[in-house]
Amino acid sequence: MAAASSSAAFFGTSEENQNQMIKQQQSSTTPPSSSTAPQTKKKRNQPGTPNPDVEVIALSPKSLMATNRFICEVCNKGFQREQNLQLHRRGHNLPWKLKQKTTKEVKKKVYLCPEPTCVHHEPARALGDLTGIKKHYSRKHGEKKWKCEKCSKRYAVQSDWKAHSKTCGTREYRCDCGTLFSRRDSFITHRAFCDALAQETARHPTNDLTAMGSHHLFGGNHHQMSLGLSQLQAHNQPSSNMLRLGSGGAAKFEHLIGSPSNPSSLHNMPGSMFFMADAANQGFHQDHQSPHGNGPYMNKALHGLLQLPYLQGNTNNSGANSTNLFNLGFFPNNGGSSSMSAGESGGSSAVNLLNSGFLSGNQFNMGDQVGSGLSSLYSTTTSMQHESISPNMSATALLQKAAQMGSTTSNHTSSLLRGLGSSSSSGMKPERQVLAANFGGNFGGGGSSRGGGGGGGETLRSQMENDDNNLQGLMNSLATANSSIFGAGHGQDQSNFVGGFAGSGGTQVEHHGNNNFSNVNEGNKLHQNLAGSIGGTDKLTLDFLGVGEMVRNIGGAGSQHGINIGSLNPEMKSSAQATSTQQFGSGKLV
Amino acid sequence: MFQDESSSVTSSSPLQVFSMMSLSPNLGSPYPWLRELKSEERGLYLIHLLLNCANHVANGSLENANIALEQISQLASPDGDTMQRMATYFTEALADRILKAWPGLHKALNSTRITLVSEEILVRKLFFELFPFLKVAFVLTNQAVIEAMEGEKMVHIIDLNAANPAQWVALIQALSARPEGPPHLRITGIHQRKEVLDQMAHRLTEEAEKLNLPFQFNPVVSKLENLDVEKLRVKTGEALAISSVLQLHSFLASDDEHHRKKMPLGSKNLNGVHLQIALQMNQSTLGELLGKDTVNGYSPSPDSASSSPLSSSGLAKVDSFLNALWGLSPKLMVVTEQDSDHNGSTLMGRLLESLYSYAALFDCSESTASRTSLERFKVEKMLFGEEIKNIIACEGAERKERHEKLEKWIQKLNLAGFGNIPLSYYGMLHARRLLQGYNCDGYKMKEENGGCIVICWQDRPLFSVSAWSCRK
Repeated sequence: MAAASSSAAFFGTSEENQNQMIKQQQSSTTPPSSSTAPQTKKKRNQPGTPNPDVEVIALSPKSLMATNRFICEVCNKGFQREQNLQLHRRGHNLPWKLKQKTTKEVKKKVYLCPEPTCVHHEPARALGDLTGIKKHYSRKHGEKKWKCEKCSKRYAVQSDWKAHSKTCGTREYRCDCGTLFSRRDSFITHRAFCDALAQETARHPTNDLTAMGSHHLFGGNHHQMSLGLSQLQAHNQPSSNMLRLGSGGAAKFEHLIGSPSNPSSLHNMPGSMFFMADAANQGFHQDHQSPHGNGPYMNKALHGLLQLPYLQGNTNNSGANSTNLFNLGFFPNNGGSSSMSAGESGGSSAVNLLNSGFLSGNQFNMGDQVGSGLSSLYSTTTSMQHESISPNMSATALLQKAAQMGSTTSNHTSSLLRGLGSSSSSGMKPERQVLAANFGGNFGGGGSSRGGGGGGGETLRSQMENDDNNLQGLMNSLATANSSIFGAGHGQDQSNFVGGFAGSGGTQVEHHGNNNFSNVNEGNKLHQNLAGSIGGTDKLTLDFLGVGEMVRNIGGAGSQHGINIGSLNPEMKSSAQATSTQQFGSGKLV
Repeated sequence: MFQDESSSVTSSSPLQVFSMMSLSPNLGSPYPWLRELKSEERGLYLIHLLLNCANHVANGSLENANIALEQISQLASPDGDTMQRMATYFTEALADRILKAWPGLHKALNSTRITLVSEEILVRKLFFELFPFLKVAFVLTNQAVIEAMEGEKMVHIIDLNAANPAQWVALIQALSARPEGPPHLRITGIHQRKEVLDQMAHRLTEEAEKLNLPFQFNPVVSKLENLDVEKLRVKTGEALAISSVLQLHSFLASDDEHHRKKMPLGSKNLNGVHLQIALQMNQSTLGELLGKDTVNGYSPSPDSASSSPLSSSGLAKVDSFLNALWGLSPKLMVVTEQDSDHNGSTLMGRLLESLYSYAALFDCSESTASRTSLERFKVEKMLFGEEIKNIIACEGAERKERHEKLEKWIQKLNLAGFGNIPLSYYGMLHARRLLQGYNCDGYKMKEENGGCIVICWQDRPLFSVSAWSCRK
C-alpha cells in the first residue's frame, strides 16, 4: 500500500522529472570534474613541466596578419622570419647578424591572442609558438578569404586551403543522409549517430500512428457510449435498441428488427450475439441498468447456473442494501455516464467512481482486438477514468506486492490469481468492498424489483436457493470447471476469490446471467431485454470461450472440460430456446 | 479435476515441486478477460505467468511453456507500462532459451541479426544520458584518479571498455586545471571495434589539443577476454590507473565451464539439493519465492563459489585476469559493476533476481522518459532486453552477463591482491549532488564496506563502484 502510494506520487511527477532530466543531461555532459579541481592557477598549456618564468608576448592583430613582417629596406621584400631577412641583407651587402643559439638563457616565449573574447587572450592560456598564434588568429578571428573552387568551402589560412584543395573531390564520404564529408574521421563520427537518428525520424510517424489509433479508439468508444445513453433514455421504443445494435456493427442482426416482440427471436439474439462486433459491448453496460431497474423475473435455469457460485461469495461480503446501491452505480458507470447512474441509483458518486474504475477496463478492452494497440488504449482509459483511484504501479512495487501476497495466502491452497485478486483489492480497500458489493448488487437489483423494489442481494439469494434446485447440478459442473481454471478450493474463501476475479471473469458471467434471465421472462420490456440479452450473451460467450480455451490449455484435462461443456449445453437448452443453445455451442467453438 | 491437474505437475524432482507451488491452478486462457485487467492486476498476473512459464521452461515442458508464452503475449507490450515492457523482454528471453534447444532453428532465425556499431554506440550513449548510473560511476572514477594521481607527471590510464569519451574528456579537463600543472596523459583504450577507438581518439585528442594537455591515445583493438595484458605497454615511471566499467563480470563466464569439468554430476543435481533445502526451510510460497530471503538462501551458486581458490584447483579466468592486472601494479583501479546476483546456477534463481533488478531499471526508465519515447524503447530493447536474454537464455561461456554483488567482487579482488581504498569523499559529494539533480526520490546512493558506493533505485541496489590499489 505504501509502495503503491509512493509510486503514485512518483509517477505523478514523472513529467517534471523528464524536463529535469533534459536539463540534467545537458549539464552533465559538461564534465563534473572540471569544477572539482580549484581553478585558481591555470598554467599555460605547454608540454612538459610548466615553466613559470616565460616571456608573454602580445602581438597586434596587424603584425599577426602580416604575412611577411620582416621587410628589406632596400628592395621592400618581405620575410616571415628575421633570420631569412638577415640572410637576404647579406646579398645587399648590408650589415647582417644571425642570432646565435643561446640555448639556455633564452626565455621561452608564449603569445597572446589579441582578440579579447578569445580564451587565448589570457596569459594563462597563451599559445606556445608564433605560427600557432598566427594561424589561430586567422582561423578563429580572421576573414576566410581562401575559397575552394570545387566545394566553396572557405579558409582563412592559405595552407589549410591548399591542403584541402589537394584532396577536395578526390576523397569524399557521403552519408546516407546526404551530408558530404571530405575527412574520414568527421564522416565516421557523423555516421555513428546519423544512422540511428535517421531510423528514429523514420520511426516517429508510426509511433504517432499508434498513439493516434488508440486515441481514436478511445474516442470511438466514447461516442458509442453516449449513443447508448441516448438510446437508453429513449428506451420505450422497442426498435431503438435494435437499431443501435445494427449500428454497432452487427449487420447480421438486422433481420431481427422486424420481429422484436417475438419471444423466440428474442432468444435468438443471445446466440447470435456471440458473434456480435465488439462495438455492441459498449452499449452493454448501459443497457444493463434497465433490466435492473425494471425488475426482471428470474429464469431459474440460467440464473442458477450462472449466479450461484458467485452468489455465495457475495453474500459473505456485504449487506443487501448497500450492495444494491453499489450495483446500481456500477453498471451505469461502465457506460461512462457516472452522473446519470448516480442520479438513478441515488448512490454516492464516490462509489460510482470506484465502480467505474473497476469495470471500465472491460469496456474498452473488449472493443479492442489488436494486441499491441491494447496496451496504449488501456493506459489511456485508465489514466483518464480513474487517475485518482488506481495509480500505475511500478514494476518494483508489483513484485513486492506479489511477494507479499504469496506469503499471506500461503495457508490456503495458494493460487496466485486468487491471491492476486485479494491483494489487488486490499491495495485499495474501498474497492474491494465495492467489488464484492457489485456481485451482491447484481442480484440485489433483480431481487428488489421482483420483490417490489425494496429487496437486496439477500432476498435474491434466498429466492435463488428456493427456485433453482434443478440447476444445482449444472452449477456444480460449472463450479468444477471454474475451479479447475482458477484454482483449488474456492469454496473456503470465496469472497476473496470472487473479488479477485471481478476484473477477470466472474462479473461477466454474473451479470449476463441477470440479463439473460430478464430476457427470457420479460416479455413486456422487449427492447430492454433485447439489449440486455445482447450484452449479456456476448459477455457470456466470451467468458465461456475463455473457459473452453482455458480448459484446453490446461492440457490433460481436455476430456473433463468436454464434460463440463456438455453439461452446460443441455441446461442451456432447457433454460433458453434451442436456437440460442446452438449458437452458444458454436460460439464456444470459435 | 484440478487435483489431477496438480498431480500431473507434481513429480519427483524438487524443481518440479517448486514449480507446482508457484504454479497456480489458474492457467487462464481467457483472452477476453485478460485484456480487461487493470494495470496493477495485469502486472501481477504477468509476474505470475512469467514465473509459471519459467518453471515450465526449467522443467522442459515446452507445451505448457508455450501456452504461458501465448498468454503473456496477450498482456505484454513493449510500449505499455513497466511490467508489460519488462514481461516482453523476459518472454523473449524465455522463448529464446527454448529455441536454443534447436540450434538449427535458433541460428536460422537469428541469421540476419546484425549489430551495427553505430546502434551499439547509440544505445550506450542513451543509457549514459538517460540514467545517472554511468555518470555517477564516471564522477567517482575520475575523482579517484585525480586524487590518486596528484603530483604525478606521467599518468597512464587503461580503459577496459573505451566506448564513452565523456569520462575522459572530463578527466582531461580536470587534469589540465590541476594546480601543479597538467601531467602527460596517456590513455589506453581497449575495444573490439576499431571505429569506436578511432572516434574516441579523435574526440580526446581534440579536447587535449584544445587545452594543450600533452596527450596520447593508445588504441588496442581486442576483445577484452582475448586481451594480452603485456601488450598494454605500461612504461616504468608512469602512474597507472585502470578503469573497468561493467566489464569484469563477463570473465566469470568461463568459470562455469571450468566448474562443470570439475563436477561431472552436473549442476542440476546440485541445484536440486539447494532447492530442496530451500523448500524445507520455507514452504515455498510465491512470496518466499519472490522474497529476498529465500532467493538469497539458495543463491550461492556453485559456479560463483568455484572461483575461490579453495574450491578450484586451477585459476578461473577472472582470477587470472585480475592477477594480470595486478601484475601491472596500478596505483589505482576503479571497478564499476552491476550490483545484482544474476549469476545463479538455476534458471529460476536468475529469473527471480533479474526480475527484481530489471523491474527497478524499467521503473527508472519509466520515471525518466515518456512511454512513446524511442530512446527509451531502444535502451530497453537493445540494452536491458539483450542483457535479460543473455541472463535467461544463455548458459556456459555464452552467458556473459554474470552480474554479481559487491561482496563477491570484494572477495575476488582481495584474493587477486588488491586492497580496497575508500572512494573520495569529494567524489561522493559530487555524485550525490548529481543524483539529486535528477529530482526524483528513486535514485539513492549507499556507502558500503567503508568507501564503496552502491547506486540504488529505491531500495534495490543496481550498480556498485569500488576503488582498489595494489597491495604489495
